[in-house]
Amino acid sequence: MQTITSFLPVWVVLFPLAMTFLIYYVEKDSDRLRDSFSAIAAIGTFILVAAMYPQVMAGNVLIYDLFEIIPGLKITFRVDLLGFSLAAISSFVWMLVTIYSLDYMSHEHAQNRYYPTLIFILASCLGIFVAGDLFTLFIFFELMSVFSYILVVHEETYEAMKAGYKYIIMAIIGGLALLLSLIITFEIAGTVSLAETNLIGEASVLGLIAFFGYLIGFGMKAGMFPLHVWLPDAHPVAPSPASALLSGIMLKTGAYGLIRVIFNVYSPDMLSASGWNTIITVLALITILLGSAVALTQQDLKRRLAYSSVGQMGYILLGMSLLTENAVMGNIFHIFSHALMKSCLFLAAGAVIMKTGKRNIQDLAGVGRQMPVTMIAFTVAAVAMIGVPPFNGFISKWVLGLGAIEAGVPNYIIVLLLSSLMNGLYYLPIIVAAFFEGEMAIPVDEVPYRMLLPMVLLAFSCLIFGLFPVNLPFDLSRLATDFIMGVVR
Amino acid sequence: MSHINQIIALLQDHSPVLVVIVLLVFAYMMPLFARWKKEWCAPLALTSIALSLGFTGLLTWEVFASGPIRYEMGSWAPPWGIEFLVDYIGLFMLITIGIISLLILTFGTEDLTHELKEKVQGWYYTLYLLLVGSMMGLAITNDLFNMFVFMEIAAISACAIISIKSDRECVEASLKYLILSAVGTGGVLLSIALLYMVTGHLNFDFIAAGLENVLYVYPNNILVALALFTLGFIVKAALFPLHVWLPDAHSSAPSPSSAMLSGLVIKIYAVVYLKLLMRVFPAELFTIIPIFDIILILASMSIIFGSIFAMVQKDIKRMLAYSSIAQIGYVFLGIGLLTPMGLSGGLLHIFNHAMMKSMLFLSAGAIIYCAGVRNISDLKGIGLKMPLVMAVFTIGALAMVGIPVTNGFISKLYLALGTLEAGKPFYLAVILASSLLNAVYYFPIIIGAFFGHHHHDEYGEEVEEGPKVKKLPMAMGVPLTILGLGCIFFGLFPGVIMIVVERAVGMFL
Repeated sequence: MQTITSFLPVWVVLFPLAMTFLIYYVEKDSDRLRDSFSAIAAIGTFILVAAMYPQVMAGNVLIYDLFEIIPGLKITFRVDLLGFSLAAISSFVWMLVTIYSLDYMSHEHAQNRYYPTLIFILASCLGIFVAGDLFTLFIFFELMSVFSYILVVHEETYEAMKAGYKYIIMAIIGGLALLLSLIITFEIAGTVSLAETNLIGEASVLGLIAFFGYLIGFGMKAGMFPLHVWLPDAHPVAPSPASALLSGIMLKTGAYGLIRVIFNVYSPDMLSASGWNTIITVLALITILLGSAVALTQQDLKRRLAYSSVGQMGYILLGMSLLTENAVMGNIFHIFSHALMKSCLFLAAGAVIMKTGKRNIQDLAGVGRQMPVTMIAFTVAAVAMIGVPPFNGFISKWVLGLGAIEAGVPNYIIVLLLSSLMNGLYYLPIIVAAFFEGEMAIPVDEVPYRMLLPMVLLAFSCLIFGLFPVNLPFDLSRLATDFIMGVVR
Repeated sequence: MSHINQIIALLQDHSPVLVVIVLLVFAYMMPLFARWKKEWCAPLALTSIALSLGFTGLLTWEVFASGPIRYEMGSWAPPWGIEFLVDYIGLFMLITIGIISLLILTFGTEDLTHELKEKVQGWYYTLYLLLVGSMMGLAITNDLFNMFVFMEIAAISACAIISIKSDRECVEASLKYLILSAVGTGGVLLSIALLYMVTGHLNFDFIAAGLENVLYVYPNNILVALALFTLGFIVKAALFPLHVWLPDAHSSAPSPSSAMLSGLVIKIYAVVYLKLLMRVFPAELFTIIPIFDIILILASMSIIFGSIFAMVQKDIKRMLAYSSIAQIGYVFLGIGLLTPMGLSGGLLHIFNHAMMKSMLFLSAGAIIYCAGVRNISDLKGIGLKMPLVMAVFTIGALAMVGIPVTNGFISKLYLALGTLEAGKPFYLAVILASSLLNAVYYFPIIIGAFFGHHHHDEYGEEVEEGPKVKKLPMAMGVPLTILGLGCIFFGLFPGVIMIVVERAVGMFL
């Protein structure tokens, strides 16, 4: 492993940030320029992230120190395998979602607000993944949390405002909890750099408070059980592309933060010795069962998807809390899988809602024959979500299952299977109804190709990343796991 | 050439006093110009503050080059003469006061024509300059006599710029302020007498030297003096139990006055109090009476109760005024923590809060000027009509809550680190709780201003809501923009101002 000073991680944040201002500047005069600049921003950012690939795969760590804000707390950038994995999947999905937005949003109000926000949040979200220390991570995390409020309340309906208020207050509480932990960590360790491990080496009272702070801050974002209450309200009310990002990507920032907390701030040894990781395990199990169970009862399509996200985040949390190699690998791979699946599902749901104007699952019977491509994409992603081979969701669950055996808790596999069963119970009826039942009262046509393309691409990646021997996300997860576990060893 | 050099040398030598004198001289010229050349008043007042700021620049240069400057008035050496001492803390306050008051007055030149009657406008500049001058004097004074004089000037001019609108509310508020502030200054005067009685001096350094010797001879004198000082300054700085005058005064005054009072005036007393505690009273005294712990308790009560009171306000300026009570609590929290990080945070918060709060009051003023509304419930949808003003308000509110990339975050971070440094994590909880409370009362305003007003009537037409607004004048837009950008700049590069703050803290600890 080699550290290389490179400005590339900074560009990953700076480019979309600069584009935000550019979009803001041109949008008053031209809608076309605004749309194309947004697309360019998202595509360019993905290219910039991809440009780090050769270096990162060679096992190098890219670092860059920007400037000091207060003594000891600097803005630094550092991209290792884990950060790169997350940045890659995020910028990939973001790119597709931005392209999807061009047509989806063209009938919506306040597009001039939507696009700069979308690109700004891209910048701050990637900032989280390329941050070199917890302080930088915290700054970008807060920016992302606060500004995604604008996406949540985009529709400005009564429900949206209500969900948005809940969201912003909980986001602030989460942010403050993080700040508390950050300060405690800094006070104990004297540094918050992610290049270090074992920042809090001993189980102390302050250490436990910090642990809970991290758990609240990141767990809130990740939709962990008692703190998930904002999620099912906030995700469905946002415009569908924004829901795709909120559920597909932004939840993962919380998971990423927790992985960093487990492997950098504390250490697996210390956590398993003190038993603090069981807190996450228990919450994760409840999250899985609760999310899936409540999703069953939802009649609103997007709400059902949102609860499903809660359940799926449970897998990710479970994986990281078991602390074994396969479990962590499953956790990282599931971050990839869930990002692809859930954004595909939300985009498809958005397409259906846009064309039919209906969000209730009963009203969607027969839509599959009217919008075959959209619903096939939906089906692929849903089947992957259930965990049917050969899709990527199967691999995540398989590896997670292996991890559970490795950790000596094979019983958890039952939870995984139970949840898969529930996934099947709430996804399959939608699909069956869409293709084989009923008839749409008003015939609708397929959405434009710029909306189809992202969905098809996402659905296709769900398939190939489960099927192909050359499996980039899987390799990345394996390497990233080796990397973070290796640091510990 | 040599003449010019001589003049420059002369100015340089006398710059500590010129900083103040310029303002006082111009202040007394204002009524004259108001009669003779009305349109000259505003530019002249701005010029005088700019000049004073120029001298501050000169002083900064000198102090950084060769350390703190002592200036003996009329070359009478202390203990007989009165003395100015420009050290880092004084410099820090001069810079803060100069910059912020210049921006506020720029805004005021436009706002005052709207808020005040024609014939008092000239007088307003007089009072404003007197207030700025006396605060600058307070920042660099090194003896109790001068301090008292400047405090009185500041109190009277502050009172007058509250009551200048001469409607019922303002007069009532300023009367309340006058009485309470008289109690405060009375206390200060008494304690000056008590200290003079035991030491025979008025100069800070000489008193400090004297007190070392007589601490155990006249402990009661000194304790009572400390108590009275504390009382006086707490009233003036509006710390929790004695804050009652502030909400009325700050909300009813013209907006530039409110910005001035909330942004600067209450802070200067905190600084003078800090100077007295650290430089005049002997450290041994604080082993007898734990004054810093008392400050900490009052500060946290101020933080929590100020925020809670702010939550229930209906008038936007009143809400901002209560928020000031909470924020002055942060400054005192920093003083009470007495650790390098904590004190840095407290002092830095003086500068940061001066920016944020004056910005918030000015944007509230701009809303009152352009839209004529001041009830929080009437502010719905205002962000779409006055995007600049509400954007600036949003930055200020985010800074109040302590969202990163704003200056408020930096001072809270310092304070939070200070609490752990001092081993008092309880106050960390206070800081975090108050951030949440701030969010609870600031965010609904922003949300209401920008979102939730996308209504269509039954024909699908966009519905216009709320009051019609006037265009924002340039003189208001520019200071607001500068302050808004400043909040973000100092959130990213606090080092620029921390250079001074660190040295000021180094002086004390």
